[in-house]
Amino acid sequence: MSTVSDVPIPPEPPSTGRAAGIVVARELASYFETRIAPVYGTAFILLANLLFMNEFFLLGTADMSGWFVRLPLLAAVFLPAVTMRSWAEERRQRTLEVLLALPVTPGAPVIGKFVASLGLYCIFLAGSLPIVAMVAWLGRPDWGRICAAYLGAVLLGVLFLAAGQLVSALTADQIVAFVVSAVLLILLVVLGDPRVAAVLDGLAPVLAAGTFLRDVISPIPYFETFAQGVVAFAGLVYFLGTAAVLLASTALVLTLNRP
Amino acid sequence: MRHPSMIRVESLGRRYGDVTALAGVTFQVDAGEIVGVLGPNGAGKSTLFRILSTWLAPDAGRARVLGFDTVDQALEVRQRIGYLVEHNALYESMLVEDYLEFIGRMRGLLGSRLRDRVDHVAGVCALEPVLRRRIQDCSKGNRQRVGVAAAIVHDPPVLILDEPTHGLDPIQVKAFLDFVRSLRAGRAVLFSNHVLTELSAISDRLLVLLDGRLVADETLPDLRARAASAGVGLNDLLVRLVREAAETPATGGAAGAEVAEAAVAAAAEKPATERAGDTRAR
Repeated sequence: MSTVSDVPIPPEPPSTGRAAGIVVARELASYFETRIAPVYGTAFILLANLLFMNEFFLLGTADMSGWFVRLPLLAAVFLPAVTMRSWAEERRQRTLEVLLALPVTPGAPVIGKFVASLGLYCIFLAGSLPIVAMVAWLGRPDWGRICAAYLGAVLLGVLFLAAGQLVSALTADQIVAFVVSAVLLILLVVLGDPRVAAVLDGLAPVLAAGTFLRDVISPIPYFETFAQGVVAFAGLVYFLGTAAVLLASTALVLTLNRP
Repeated sequence: MRHPSMIRVESLGRRYGDVTALAGVTFQVDAGEIVGVLGPNGAGKSTLFRILSTWLAPDAGRARVLGFDTVDQALEVRQRIGYLVEHNALYESMLVEDYLEFIGRMRGLLGSRLRDRVDHVAGVCALEPVLRRRIQDCSKGNRQRVGVAAAIVHDPPVLILDEPTHGLDPIQVKAFLDFVRSLRAGRAVLFSNHVLTELSAISDRLLVLLDGRLVADETLPDLRARAASAGVGLNDLLVRLVREAAETPATGGAAGAEVAEAAVAAAAEKPATERAGDTRAR
């Protein structure tokens, strides 16, 4: 019969931060293995930059605001395509059981996948840097405003990617994850339009539901503040707080929803 | 000093809606023991393994691995087990070597120890020729060995292997069984299989599950002795045990007995050579 000294001692598991870092590296590699990064990245950068350049030459002002105006809608379509596989594919291929049999809390892979998707989104955003260079070459841009707008763009991505992670965790079908995420995010963007808010307010003036949805629920007013060059504390709290709740919900779903 | 039970399962129960997957299952596995789990499809083998891996929580009873509760101390349990998931789910787009390194890192292996362990498991699982190949391009046999290699990369004291020889050809099966036998010292190995000859070749003890109930928990020598005294072979004895269990009111009477008997008989008689065709390269 074996004794205590015979029993192998397994290594100490990694900390949550280290495990998340390992997942980040693995996920970033998978974006390139599955060609998500080059295909979606090229499409996103081409579409965003071409739409902007068309307007840029018509207006003739050395200003990037037009690029940031279109970003929420583009992100609402492209970012669900990045997150749709995150958990849905793990469920479908049953690798989720492998991943969650590892000695780490569900939070570690959730954070890892989220940070990896955010990294990919930042690469997408970096595709607009030639426009920054062009604007700087043609005029005297407001650097503070541009930096604040990029910070807003990153925060918008934080929110959208966290929402996409949660939706992906709720299904085993990545197409369903994409459609539901995209519809949800487009709705959030549309609710931020003052014209939509006015229409909704008109339906029930006492409730002022349109104004409430625009000012409290939609990310657009917060994003617009950043795009105008103002780093607002309320915006930081809105984006980071909501994303934290969504990511915690993702970890909870992965813990509870195990067939 | 003898080590306490590596796996201890007490009155374990689990339901999926109206279906009882496990009911009152109790057993233990000590260090140095290899225990085979046999049963027809739907008997509860995978549910049992999923509870031991902490993937599922039991509805009743408890399971402990090296004294750690699978619900309250799930991380400690996961640190100490190597688990091969049923159907061997793998990250298809990864290179075999990258996959083993990923699992090793997530298990806390670092630097030269990680490299040494990956080299070791690649050697014992005969994976060196395919280390730089994508998993999706590997044969079924190689994929199965990748799954096993990942399960043992951190040298766990407890191994839980759900149908580890599925898809292996007879030569690979023999090599695998020899390999599992070599792991015996200091470890507890619990593995399921549909083929009795493979289970009986290396197991010290057999657990037979039927409709979520443990209908037999006996050492191989005891089972063989019983079979000899009854004047039947081991296969026939197991079929008889299952038939007797299936005929009890809880499992649906004679009709259930016929289904269960047929399943166990098939498991007992299915030669490994019949499964060799599964192993063709993809």
